[in-house]
Amino acid sequence: MRNINKIGALSLATLMAASSVSASDYGSFDGYTLRVKLIGGAQYEPLYTLIPEWEKATGATVDILSRKSHFELDREMKQDIAAGNTDYCVFSNHTNFAPQYDVMTEPLDGHISADVLADFSPLVVSHATVGGKLFSMPRHSDVSNMYYVKSLYEDADNQAKFKAEYGYDLTPPATWAQASDQAKFFTDAPDRYGTHFAGKDEGITGRFYEMLVAEGGVMLNDDMSPAFNSEAGVRALNWFVDLYEAKAVPAGTTNYVWDDLGLGFAAGAVAFNLDWGGWAAYFNSDDSKISGDVGIVLAPAGSSGKRTGWSGSHSFSMTKGCDNQAAAASLITFLTSHDAQMLEARAGILPTRTQVWDDVIAEFKAEKNDYMVEIFAIYSDSMANHAFTPPLIAEWGEISNALWPRLQAAILGDKTAQEALDEAAEDVLEVMQDAGHL
Amino acid sequence: MTRLRRTIRENAVPFALISPAVLIILMVVLLPLIFSFYTSFSNYRLIRPDSLWDWVGLRNYKRIMGDWDFWVAFGRTVLFLTVALNLELLFGLGLALLVNKITWGQRTMRTIMMFPMMFSPILVGFQFKYLFNDTIGLVNNGLQSLGLTHEAIPFLVDRWLAFFSIAFAEIWMSTSIFAILILAGLFALPKDPIEAARVDGCSNWQVFKHITLPFLMPFIYIAMAIRSLDVARAFDIVDVMTGGGPAGRTELLWTLISRTAYDDARMGRANAMSYVAILLSIFFTWFFFNKLMEARKHLGAF
Repeated sequence: MRNINKIGALSLATLMAASSVSASDYGSFDGYTLRVKLIGGAQYEPLYTLIPEWEKATGATVDILSRKSHFELDREMKQDIAAGNTDYCVFSNHTNFAPQYDVMTEPLDGHISADVLADFSPLVVSHATVGGKLFSMPRHSDVSNMYYVKSLYEDADNQAKFKAEYGYDLTPPATWAQASDQAKFFTDAPDRYGTHFAGKDEGITGRFYEMLVAEGGVMLNDDMSPAFNSEAGVRALNWFVDLYEAKAVPAGTTNYVWDDLGLGFAAGAVAFNLDWGGWAAYFNSDDSKISGDVGIVLAPAGSSGKRTGWSGSHSFSMTKGCDNQAAAASLITFLTSHDAQMLEARAGILPTRTQVWDDVIAEFKAEKNDYMVEIFAIYSDSMANHAFTPPLIAEWGEISNALWPRLQAAILGDKTAQEALDEAAEDVLEVMQDAGHL
Repeated sequence: MTRLRRTIRENAVPFALISPAVLIILMVVLLPLIFSFYTSFSNYRLIRPDSLWDWVGLRNYKRIMGDWDFWVAFGRTVLFLTVALNLELLFGLGLALLVNKITWGQRTMRTIMMFPMMFSPILVGFQFKYLFNDTIGLVNNGLQSLGLTHEAIPFLVDRWLAFFSIAFAEIWMSTSIFAILILAGLFALPKDPIEAARVDGCSNWQVFKHITLPFLMPFIYIAMAIRSLDVARAFDIVDVMTGGGPAGRTELLWTLISRTAYDDARMGRANAMSYVAILLSIFFTWFFFNKLMEARKHLGAF
């Protein structure tokens, strides 16, 4: 849920507006070298340009040991845990994967003051809390909403034809059943498809999971045994199967991940696209064929009435072995401060502080950037009211890996939805048994 | 005992000289091998260091024996190896024979022939992933522009097309290894038996079948042995192009093992899988070296 590569250039323009930091804010750690491992990539780098300010204010030096993509960093961290090589202090984390690193994570309760924490969105803080302990400080959030090509929906001919065929007005989808109708209606292959979806890795697991929740299902029972092979699970999976069978999505969608989807939508290849907030600015940029023609609505609801809202937040954590926890807490506080979040939010990345939502919307309003005002209004509602994480357990990655090849098998027609989910449930049962949950 | 002592005393200098090499080999090869073999009998999970001591006996191996997905990946790896090796041999042989005929610019040709080998497999993977993409791919766009098809062909999704696509990338990159080794064989080919055969009135085909090819066989088997080890651990290209998917349709042993080891952090089980997978490499190496010996014996008849 993370890769957005096109925002770097936009962020650079905002760097000049960086904040000033006073020594009294962040303490003094003269001569100390703080060792950190940070997530890298165009979306994440602009924030790190603020680090010299923290160094200047505190007298400490930051030594960045690693700067890798989420998946590479994840592997490195697992190897660090295995090798007992966790003698650095701060590392980039993600709320949905944080339980995996519990062995090396120092909970932040007591290190971050309650006043600071009170400025963060309560829902997001709850996502960063595992077993009652604050595992990380949320840096920015991810959730998906529905982007659509406005002109296709406004076209009078399309509206008349759609009404005649489906019996209701053509408006951006409020439910996933409507989304399914509209995807089929708009498909004009191979030039345009109704929509597309992430079809492999955690992408398809996450999309299935949020659909499962929107259909009223759950991933795991209270005793941690798998529960996704339920009627709701079959309904959720069949939404994807049905669109694939109807050829309303590209045949290659089972190989697509985030870049394929974002770039495909910007190329005008689909009518609507459920996607992350970080893409919003790119969709409306000069590089996009649909610039000026992009609309946004909240992610549709499933048959239970609940909206999809698979979410998670990139965050920062402290290691247990850190030899200067005050300095680590100081850097984490600095990197999640109001000014730091404003820097990322201006580029379209979703903040975790409530005040930053208001302030960045005010800035967009002042610039008369109606598009970004609308985007942030929708995403703010989504993050405050509809977002939810996967089960916060260390085995989420393993569950995902057991699920996604089976989900693909059902989508491609190799297995029925029930067969695919039952097989995955068997594997997940084994995973949970091996992990000692059952 | 005294003999042993005497042997050590008499050979003290050679023993001292080779001991660093032996020690290093023990450290970097043997110890990790013993360690990984031990972990294959444990429930070792990377994110739970304590699980290293969680001895589960043969559980990992028993589960692998009953794991249909693993055996399908195993079978697919054998098939992939067979298809890739045979086609690489055919194309490599053809290329080498053609290049051998060139009298002008042969050196340049040989260098050009080696270009695909100079790319990193990951880049080759990305290149073919783009070429075979169903919506923006060059191949699909070309076919549609030529009017050969009006539909997007899902090269990386369809069961056999996806297999063909990854095999195509692998063959594109490595055919030149065969070509170069066979070309070396052609350069070393003695002219006398060929001239004698021509005097006796043999046709081109007969010369190729009875003289050239048997002489090239040792070179071919060496190439086969090297490439079989390479392909049996094929990972980069497949991981980039399809990641073993969709729905496990292009899953090979090492895409499965790497996911189990690092994404799932189940190192114990992944190591057990690796030990079973290594049998495949051992078999192919043994097979091709046997063939190599036979071919050399056959050559002794000349």
